[in-house]
Formats: sequence, C-alpha cells, structure tokens
Amino acid sequence: MSTASENYIPGHAAAAPQAGAVKLTMILSGAVFALMMVFGLIMRAAQGQWIELDAALFYQLLTAHGAGMVGTAALSGAAIMWYFGGRHLVLTGGIFWAFLGLFLLGVVLILGAIFIGGYGGAWTFLFPLPALSGGAWEAGAAAAFMLGYTAIGVGFLLYYLELGRRIHTRYGSLARALGWNLILGREDNDPPPPAIVAAAAVTIFNSIGIILGAAVLAASLVHLLVPGFEVDALLAKNLIYFFGHVFINASIYMAVTAVYEILPEYTGKPWKSNRLFAIAWNAVLIFVMAVYWHHLLQDVVMPPWMLVVGQLVSYFSGIPLIAVTAFSTFLYVRGSNMTWDLASALLVLSVAGWSVGSIPASIDGMISVNKVMHNTMWVPGHFHTYLLLGEVAMAFGFMAWLVRGKTIARMNGLDRAGFAVYLAGAAGFVTVFLFSGAASIPRRWAVHYEEWLTHDRIGTLFSVLVVLGTLIFVLRFVARLGRSEG
Amino acid sequence: MRMICLGLLAMAEAVALREAAAASPVQHVLVQMPLLVLAGVLLGWNLRVRRDWAVPLLLTALTAFLFWMLPRSVDWALTPAGEAAKNLSLPLLLGVPLRLSWPWLGPVLRGFLKANALSMLGVLGFLYTHAPVRICNSYLVSAQQELGFAFLYLAAALACLWAIPVLFGHPKCGSFGTAGCSRCGV
Ligand code: HEM
Ligand SMILES: [Cu+2]
Repeated sequence: MSTASENYIPGHAAAAPQAGAVKLTMILSGAVFALMMVFGLIMRAAQGQWIELDAALFYQLLTAHGAGMVGTAALSGAAIMWYFGGRHLVLTGGIFWAFLGLFLLGVVLILGAIFIGGYGGAWTFLFPLPALSGGAWEAGAAAAFMLGYTAIGVGFLLYYLELGRRIHTRYGSLARALGWNLILGREDNDPPPPAIVAAAAVTIFNSIGIILGAAVLAASLVHLLVPGFEVDALLAKNLIYFFGHVFINASIYMAVTAVYEILPEYTGKPWKSNRLFAIAWNAVLIFVMAVYWHHLLQDVVMPPWMLVVGQLVSYFSGIPLIAVTAFSTFLYVRGSNMTWDLASALLVLSVAGWSVGSIPASIDGMISVNKVMHNTMWVPGHFHTYLLLGEVAMAFGFMAWLVRGKTIARMNGLDRAGFAVYLAGAAGFVTVFLFSGAASIPRRWAVHYEEWLTHDRIGTLFSVLVVLGTLIFVLRFVARLGRSEG
Repeated sequence: MRMICLGLLAMAEAVALREAAAASPVQHVLVQMPLLVLAGVLLGWNLRVRRDWAVPLLLTALTAFLFWMLPRSVDWALTPAGEAAKNLSLPLLLGVPLRLSWPWLGPVLRGFLKANALSMLGVLGFLYTHAPVRICNSYLVSAQQELGFAFLYLAAALACLWAIPVLFGHPKCGSFGTAGCSRCGV
C-alpha cells in the first residue's frame, strides 16, 4: 500500500464527467482489441501453415484486423482524451454518445461489407482497388465499407468540434491552448496543462485529416457508383495516406494524455507544461502532417522534393515529442519512489514501447532503406511495436487505473503474470516481424514459402501470449468494474 | 430596410450577370449563384422564426443546395425555365431559410456544416478537374477544369477564413486574455 496518491491532487481532479460513457467505451475497446488480436493470430497461424485458411478469407481478416485495430485504437484514445479533457473543460455528454453511436454504426457497416459482402481491399481502400475486385466482391460491398468509414469520420468530426469549441471558449484561442504564450515567453497565469496542449494539437491535425479523408472517400464512392468517373490515382493515394497516417498517429497522441494525467498521481510530482513541451507539441502538429510522404517513397512520379521532405521529417517527426515525453517520464519515475501497480507499469511501458517503435519507423523513412524494406514485414514490425507496446498499453494502463480502487496496491500475482505474458509476447511478436522484414519477407501475403514458415510459427506462438495477456487485462477490468459499482 | 435594399441590389447584380454566367461556369457557379443566395440572406436578415422551424428550414436549404450542386442543374439553369427557377429558388429556398435557421443551430452543428462544405468543395474540385467527360454540355472542357480549380481555391480560402479566428482568437475578444472568450462559438 502506498499513500503517494494523496500527496498530489491535480487541478480539477476528482471530477470525472461522463465516466460511465468512458468506461463503456473502454469495455468495448478491450473486447474488440481481443477479438481483432484473435483475427491476427489466425492470420499468422495461416501464414505459418498451421491452419488452413482460404486466401479470400485471409484478406477479409486482414481488412477487418487493419480497420478494426486502427478504429479501436482511435476509439480508446478518444475516450481517454475525453476523460482527461473533462478535467479541464466542460464537455457535452450528448456529443460523446453521438460519437459512440456513429462509431458503432460504422463498425456494423464495415463488418457487413467484409463478412457479408466479401470486401477484402485492406483498410487503406487504396484507389482503384475497391472497384477492381476481380469478382471477389461487388461494388456495393466496397461502398458499404466506405460508408462505414464516413459514419466513423462524422462521429470523430463531432467529437473534435465539441472539443475545439470548448478549448476555444476556455482559452480564448487554440494558439494559446497550444502553449504559444509559453513558447514566446509571454506571461500566462493560466497556462494550458499537457492534456490540453495535446488535445488542441490533435483537434487541429485530425480535423484536417478527416476533412480531406471525407473528400477522398466521397470521390471514391462516386467512382464506385459511376465507374466512368476516374479519380487521379496519385492524388487519391496522397490523400488516403495523409488521412491514414494522421488518423493512426492521432490515436497515440490522444492516448498519451493518460500518461500526463495519471503518472503524477504515482510520482507525486505534477506534470506541467513548459516551453520545451509546448515546442515539441507544436512541432508534432506540423510534422505529423508533412511526414506522410514516407508512404510514397516508391512512387517515382512524386515530385522529388516531397519525398526528401518525407525522409527528413521522418527523422524529426515523433522524435521531439517522444524524447520530451520519454525523458520526462524517466526523470519523474527515477526521482520518486513510486508504487508499481498494473496501471503505472503499463503506462511506463507504453512510453518505452512508443519510443522504441519509432526507431524502426525512422529507419524505414530513409529512401535508401525503403527501396528494400517497403512492403516487407518490417512495416508491420514497426507499427505493431508502437501500437501493441504503445497505444494499446496506454489504453490497458488507463483501464487498470480506472478500476484501481481507493488505494494503490502493488501488483498481485495475476497482475504480474498478465504484465509479463503481455510484454514477452508483444516484444517477441514484433521482433519476429522485424526479423522477417530484414529477411525481405513481404507483407500482406496470404500464402508463404516454405523458407518463411519458421518465422511465421514463432510469431504465432508469441501472439498467443499477447492474446492471453490481453484477456487477463480485459477480464480483470470487467470484474473489478462490477465489484466497484455493485 | 437597408438590408432589403442591399438584398435587392445583390439580386439585380446577379441578373445583370446573365451573359457572364452563360460565358463561363466559374462566373455562373461561383459568382452569380452565390450572389443570389446572398440576396436571400440579406432579404431575410431581420426576420425571426420560432425554434421548431429551424430544422425544416435547414433541410429546405440543404435540399436546394444539393439540387444546385448537380452539374445537370447547372446546365438546366441556362434554359429560360431553369433560369427562372434558379433566380427564384436560390434566394427564397436557400438564402432565406439558411438565414432564418442559422441562429438556432448549435455551434457543433454549424462547425459540422462548415467542415462538410469544405469536404464537398474538395470533392467537386476533384471531380471537375479529373472528369473524363464533359460534365456540363453548355461549357467547354477547359472551362470545367477552371471551375474545378476554383472550387479548390474557394475551399482553401474558406478554410483559412474559418480557422484563423479559432486558432488565434477573435480580435474583439482580446485573443490571449486569460478569461477566454465566451461570446464566439467555433
Ligand atoms: C496479438 C496481437 C496481434 C497479432 C497477432 C497481429 C497480427 C497481424 C498480422 C498477421 C498482420 C498481417 C501481416 C502481413 O502483412 O502479412 C497484421 C497487420 C496489421 N495489424 Fe496486427 N496484430 C496484432 C495486434 C495489432 C494491434 C494491437 C494493432 C493496432 C492497434 C494492429 C494493427 C494492424 C494493422 C494496421 C495491420 C495492417 C493491415 C494491412 O496490411 O492492411 N495489430 N497484424
Ligand atoms: Cu506514416
């Protein structure tokens, strides 16, 4: 037992508006994470030829896994940021419910498109693949998939409009909420806390992403319904990757507010915004939008300067923010004698995993490396690192914190087992992906050569551990939720 | 009274632009049509309606908007019947209802409409610049491309117009004050 949590009482703590909606969202997220991981496990086992899977079904699972995981990462991140945003802002609960409702409507459409309509064109719906199924699915299935995305996009738009509006009301301008007073050295006797700086930045860049994403979705829909209407393929690819890159990154940038708001309860030291912190977030705001060109390094028709910017910005993109966050976390944790319960352990792990995952990402952002690594398992290797050990760990850490009870207790046996199994599984799983990438095994292939099977099988074993750890975390959350409320 | 005069002026100007509208789709769709809508907005400037009228009025306005967004409506607007329909419906079924419902729309809904307008302008830009066929029979393919780019420029301009006050604060509100501004929505 420890009393660390009593030493420090953050600004408006205690107030937890819409905690019910957030808890419900986290149960849904946990359940979908687990289900999508099982899909991943099935794909991996099929690649390793331990089970037999029809290739068409593999691509449907791949699509569901990609869209489902990205969507759930964003959903859980959004719930986390709403929860902590609510500590500093007055937020309208109805908007969150509308957001959740539209999200679920989107999920229904997407699942229907995939498992009833047979859509298997991957979560990136890259033009013109959805319209060129070669008979695998009808245009209607692809259209339903895109309408599902549209519903989710509308939900997120409402979410950000409400958040942006409230930040604007509270701080007078988004620039102030981004910490410009801190950066410019002006006096500000009510500086934005880290969670608000993050919320302001994400609100800006993800709204831009969604507006552009909606445009390319609508244009793709027109193309599906009136095939004569071509969309410029390169422009569509640019827009899709802009949207996709920004959207998946936003999930981590939203979830990291859990680190800023929760860790201080353990270390006893408040996490305040300072100049460096504000600069890092403002840099991220620009970089996250300029860096998507790293997805187009193989497109020789792109203007070279864009690719060069893509490469340069890839080095710098996450790094200032990750460095500032990781460094501060390290300092906070080292100087304090904090209690390690499941929540704090997962949150610290998430910062580490996020940082480590950015290294292979930057490597792949180099044009010379990308020539070889593009479309190999290296790519799933790097993003599974900062998603499994970053975003998802943040979400599970937040869930553990929500049900921590009145006092912070050290990890018990089950907590330890869950943590160890998850960490070992995830670390092993992503390492195998990275090794496979280095061995030039391509990504997104349903059927693998004999020589690759060892990789796939080791990967499968590790993913069983990840699924086990996840089940422990989610079931523990549900059980404790019932206990604390019943 | 002043607003009504201004409204009539906008209307007259739009009608005076008949020839220009027939000559170029940009002048037609992005000058004359907006002028007609503006005329309606100004005519309805001082009117007020009850709250429960807001949603039907908004739906009327959106329907009129959707109708005039279609390329074939733009073609039709150059025939005598279509022209009359355009001159009446854009002010009366779009401008006036929009103006009347606007005060009742919540800030999130307003923001949503604006964001949607940006996306749709983007899509139109996309389609008009890349369409493989001539979409409007009355205009040249090159004019169609010009229109597409004009949509994109308009989207960019509106995005700046709407985003700058949110980003940097409203000039009236003393942007960096600690009290924040409670008067302006998004
Ligand atoms: C037990 C955990 C997981 C397993 C076993 C797993 C497995 C897989 C497999 C086998 C692939 C396809 C690799 C290929 O291209 O051949 C894949 C792709 C992917 N995974 Fe996972 N994954 C897991 C967790 C996650 C998580 C937590 C996320 C995100 C939050 C995620 C997001 C993705 C995405 C976005 C793709 C790319 C889909 C595409 O190429 O279209 N995965 N995963
Ligand atoms: Cu990217």
